Amino acid sequence: MNILKCLKHAFNMVIHAKLRSWLTIIGIVIGVGSVVAIMSLGSGMQASVNDQFGNLGGDILTLSAGYSRSAGWGGHFRPRDSSSANSDDDLTRTDLQVLKGISDIAYIDTNIRGNADVVYMGSDGTVSVTGVDQKVWSHVTTNEIADGRMLDSADQNVVVIGGRLASDYFDDPVLLNKLLTIEGSSFRVVGILDDTSTSIYMPLQTAYSILEDKERDVYDSIVIKVKDENNLDAMIDKIEHKLMLSRHVTEKDRDFSITSNAQINETRSEMMSSMNLFLTAIAAVSLIVGAVGVANTMFTSVIEKTKEIGIMKAIGARNSDILSIFMLNAAFIGLVGGILGVLVGTIFSTVIPMFMGSMPFARSGTLVTLDSVIIALTVSVAAGLIAGFIPAWQASKLDPVDALRYE
Amino acid sequence: MTLVKLQDVYKIYQMGEVQVPALRGITLEITQGEFVAIVGQSGSGKSTMMNIVGCLDKPTKGIVRLKGQDISRLSDSNLAVLRGHTIGFIFQQYNLIPSMTAFDNVLLPLELQEMNDAQARKQANKVLEMVDLGDKTHHLPSQLSGGQQQRVSIARALAPEPEIILADEPTGALDSKTGRDVLKILHNLWKSGKTIIMVTHDLNLAKYAKRQIELKDGHIIKGG
Ligand SMILES: Nc1ncnc2c1ncn2[C@@H]1O[C@H](COP(=O)(O)OP(=O)(O)OP(=O)(O)O)[C@@H](O)[C@H]1O
Ligand SMILES: [Mg+2]
Repeated sequence: MNILKCLKHAFNMVIHAKLRSWLTIIGIVIGVGSVVAIMSLGSGMQASVNDQFGNLGGDILTLSAGYSRSAGWGGHFRPRDSSSANSDDDLTRTDLQVLKGISDIAYIDTNIRGNADVVYMGSDGTVSVTGVDQKVWSHVTTNEIADGRMLDSADQNVVVIGGRLASDYFDDPVLLNKLLTIEGSSFRVVGILDDTSTSIYMPLQTAYSILEDKERDVYDSIVIKVKDENNLDAMIDKIEHKLMLSRHVTEKDRDFSITSNAQINETRSEMMSSMNLFLTAIAAVSLIVGAVGVANTMFTSVIEKTKEIGIMKAIGARNSDILSIFMLNAAFIGLVGGILGVLVGTIFSTVIPMFMGSMPFARSGTLVTLDSVIIALTVSVAAGLIAGFIPAWQASKLDPVDALRYE
Repeated sequence: MTLVKLQDVYKIYQMGEVQVPALRGITLEITQGEFVAIVGQSGSGKSTMMNIVGCLDKPTKGIVRLKGQDISRLSDSNLAVLRGHTIGFIFQQYNLIPSMTAFDNVLLPLELQEMNDAQARKQANKVLEMVDLGDKTHHLPSQLSGGQQQRVSIARALAPEPEIILADEPTGALDSKTGRDVLKILHNLWKSGKTIIMVTHDLNLAKYAKRQIELKDGHIIKGG
């Protein structure tokens, strides 16, 4: 029998399948559905994390005081304790001068950061305040303005605030040109960022007067934008070299760190993809359980169809015809399960984020990619074929006389 | 021309420890155009012999030749093809596939032989007309009477235009009138040149055949 006819008969078997077969398909549906849901939640999360932290800023380096060899994600440097306010590893004007002497650096932004009490229309809170060099900040930051403007060189008592601080941190939303009271002084909001942070950005000199424990001309970090991001590693080496000379330290007792956004992005996406892989593996287990269910149904259906197999052999069916029909039947079950699974997975991946409003992927939603659909369908058909192989083989080997006698 | 030749054929079933001999040294020759009735008591080995003649089963011992070919030398797959082309089976319990219409049941052997679609459909319609079921082609077996189902199964057996029709108690499940109708169809087929081998209990029906073979305990006691 040619393959098209085998397909036709396999398809008819699915059409005439009993309720039991449809119930087994649910196993595949759940398996495929959870794989699709998890994969798309994963891609959604990845997309929204990238969106939030930005894959931008590959040309940005951050210099900070302190150094830790066991640098890991998010903890590249030893936090400075409070007694180090005057310690000799501070970043100072001297370091700034060294950096200014390096060509290939486009911008240098000196920062300090601390927490401050903020009052707005009767409600208050403590948020992170960053003092930035307002002349260069807009060139260096990867943040985008949603409303208003960035800081500029003439600014004094004005701030740019994070998107979440503006929208829902205080009882009332903070609007452009409103006044915030920070550590007792009034600041006008000139810009609102397109992000989900609660940070406040203000001119560096103003920040020194607000954050009282900060010593003037000492920086918490220095953000560097290089001219050519393709030579980032060489650039890091160069900066490290010059700073070590000027700070009189060696590789062994170095007291500063340089991190690059590129590096952070890479670590972050590695972490995300291994987490995705782990979750997908868990979902795959349910797919395997589904496949075992299909195998089970196939065995039962071969037994049920013993007589029909005998009839077909009597009228000229070869073993290979029987094998093809049953294998294709199993593949169809897989395919149908796969298609329904993709639908279920898509529905789940749109519904789940609604119950997890605060998770990062809730913002950009989930992504059911064409890739994940193709993978899911291929895997489910393959699962059907693997599950169906032994039963189909058994069917094809049935002795025609025994099969015909079967009641 | 000799179509089927059995030489000293034994069929012994192994039932655990016990050996059940169903056929014990059958030698038989059937030539083209014969109408043979096989009779004998229940358990005498009639069905076993039919299955071997029809290449559904291989003997434990002895040689079976179909159109000169020794079937023990053929692979399962070649045997299936040979069977599909040369032999049409008619069973006591009709053995139609319940999920398929009369038409699809008749089409099935043609699909197995990879006949082209248009030709196959024409042929299926033709044989269904021959058994007077032209108006029932799209009925499922469950929507047909016993006699009609048996006619569908005759049509299915005829569709590939086999040289031999094997019928194992084709009237066993039918009332005597319907049984006679079915037998008339077989008789007409014989007159048109087919070789017919039929197992029956009914000696009145056996008279339609020109040759009667009687089996007893796995031996041929008459007509061999
Ligand atoms: N698959 C089998 N396993 C074991 N013994 C079998 C098998 N098939 C047939 N037999 C035995 O072989 C003998 C002949 O059986 P067969 O079916 O050929 O008889 P029969 O003449 O067709 O009988 P009936 O008229 O009742 O159909 C019987 O004794 C039967 O029990
Ligand atoms: Mg019998």
